Amino acid sequence: MDKNSVKTLRDLYENAAKCYGDGIFIKEKSGKEIVEKTFNNFNDDCKKIANYLLTEVGKNLHAAVIGPTSYAYLVSYFGTVSTANPIVPLDAQLPCPDLCELLQRADVTVFFYDSRYAPMLDAIKAACPDITHYICLQQNENSVSTESIIADYKPATELPEVTPETLAAIVYTSGTTGKSKGVMLSHGNLIDNTMCCDGESAPGESTLTVLPIHHIYCFTCDILLSLRYGSSICVNDSMMRIAMNLKLFQPTIILLVPMIAETILKQIKAAAAAKPEIPERAIAQAVFGGRLKGIYSGGAYLAPEILNGYKELGIPISQGYGMTECSPRISSSIFTDESYGDVGTVVRGCEIKIEDGEIVVKSPSVMQGYYKDPEATAEVLTADGWLHTGDLGYVENNRVFITGRKKNLIILSNGENVSPEELENKFAGNDKIAEVLVYAEEGYITAELLPNPEYFKDAEKSAVVAELNELIKEINKTVTSSKTIRRIRLRDKEFDKTTSKKIKRQQTEQGEII
Amino acid sequence: MLDQLKELIVNYVEVDADSITEDSRFIEDLGFNSYDFMSLLGELEQEFDITVDEQEVINLHTVGEAVKYIESLKN
Repeated sequence: MDKNSVKTLRDLYENAAKCYGDGIFIKEKSGKEIVEKTFNNFNDDCKKIANYLLTEVGKNLHAAVIGPTSYAYLVSYFGTVSTANPIVPLDAQLPCPDLCELLQRADVTVFFYDSRYAPMLDAIKAACPDITHYICLQQNENSVSTESIIADYKPATELPEVTPETLAAIVYTSGTTGKSKGVMLSHGNLIDNTMCCDGESAPGESTLTVLPIHHIYCFTCDILLSLRYGSSICVNDSMMRIAMNLKLFQPTIILLVPMIAETILKQIKAAAAAKPEIPERAIAQAVFGGRLKGIYSGGAYLAPEILNGYKELGIPISQGYGMTECSPRISSSIFTDESYGDVGTVVRGCEIKIEDGEIVVKSPSVMQGYYKDPEATAEVLTADGWLHTGDLGYVENNRVFITGRKKNLIILSNGENVSPEELENKFAGNDKIAEVLVYAEEGYITAELLPNPEYFKDAEKSAVVAELNELIKEINKTVTSSKTIRRIRLRDKEFDKTTSKKIKRQQTEQGEII
Repeated sequence: MLDQLKELIVNYVEVDADSITEDSRFIEDLGFNSYDFMSLLGELEQEFDITVDEQEVINLHTVGEAVKYIESLKN
């Protein structure tokens, strides 16, 4: 695809149709069948949705979409943005009141919904009177559906002008702290990030898309890259069925967050232990369906143990780093890159500077701002376009290294700063600990620990406490005295997590001091 | 049924199959994380030829509850 001819998301799918035509864009399950859609189908169907919106709703609208990844979801998304109006992709796990609040905040007038949200519709209609059109993503007797639109409407032949500056999406962040903010991404932002690296995929490759589609990491790196490269997207219909779908679709590439990568690694190790006569590498390939070339990991810290575990199995993991506000990639790597503990190479077009240890970036991928929140925007984005990431780190030989989050910094009474992530990472891969959170409490650096129940099976609590104290002593030997952990809290429940499975810094319950 | 389930469970967590009882809780006692648990449910679907409802399984905490749930789907 000629990168220079693609300035907007509409250009992207039109060019995909021109370049890859009847190649398979999406494969998804429908009952026991697999339904395939081509790049040509996608081009037509997005324009049918656009035609419906322009004819039935009008020129100005904000559309929201909620549901798991599906062909219908994507035509709703791209159909909306083709009308020069923004889409608001929402988190499918949000409770109804939060959902209504975001629909209101984003000035939504059109709502595309997966049928599993139908029970919430009465509450949404009552709370959001501005929504005039409800469109179901599945065939539905009581409502307009994407399927009925695709059957009844022709592709729009004349569409409003869309420029790189046109707002494409308002993406609500699921941050580990604070109220979620609506990140405004333009067509130009998303296209810049789609084109900022080379060699991630190619025609003939296929990805199994397992991450939530409202996350920009999944949207850009699974969906937009498939349109750019002409690779196929296989839809994982449930987190329960990743193992089954890997065998069914035999992807060559998969995007994962570290937690899922860790579980699959455990499954491979268990299968290898059960069948010692078969080489581990053969088992690993079988688990992933037999054609996997590598894994892209993002969204959270990837422990070196997991990275090395896969390396031993002959499966490379490429790490990237980014944030919703940057569409999202700031740094990225491909499978042939060596890892040096970094999170990839700075992507094309992105400038990085370090201010007080914080990574600050400027690139055409950087958002326009937070929707209707100029104060929050001014806190992170300077007038000349530099975005404060809130991440601490450094750049060496164009490679990015992350050391922690600025807002999580523990500032000690002597003025010294301690990054809790630096201490938390010291527990990574330790088989005594399942989860850990480090924070300051009454001036003490505190480590709250969830012991690994497998390791401590049948152990008396006193023995657990003794071992944990011993572990902390060992860790404290590896840090300077100001960073030593002075208090330990013992939990018996998993930490509260965000929908992207990150431990929340603010917890509802606390473990006991030991 | 319980024995088949135990065989699957030990692929995820390092516990002795004999130590698993109907009262064992997946997360607290057996050491499952939330994605391990989802994966196990996917295996159960294949093993017992059932279709699990993601909304319903959120309420399954113990091995005994899972056995009852699978049996209800099989009937």
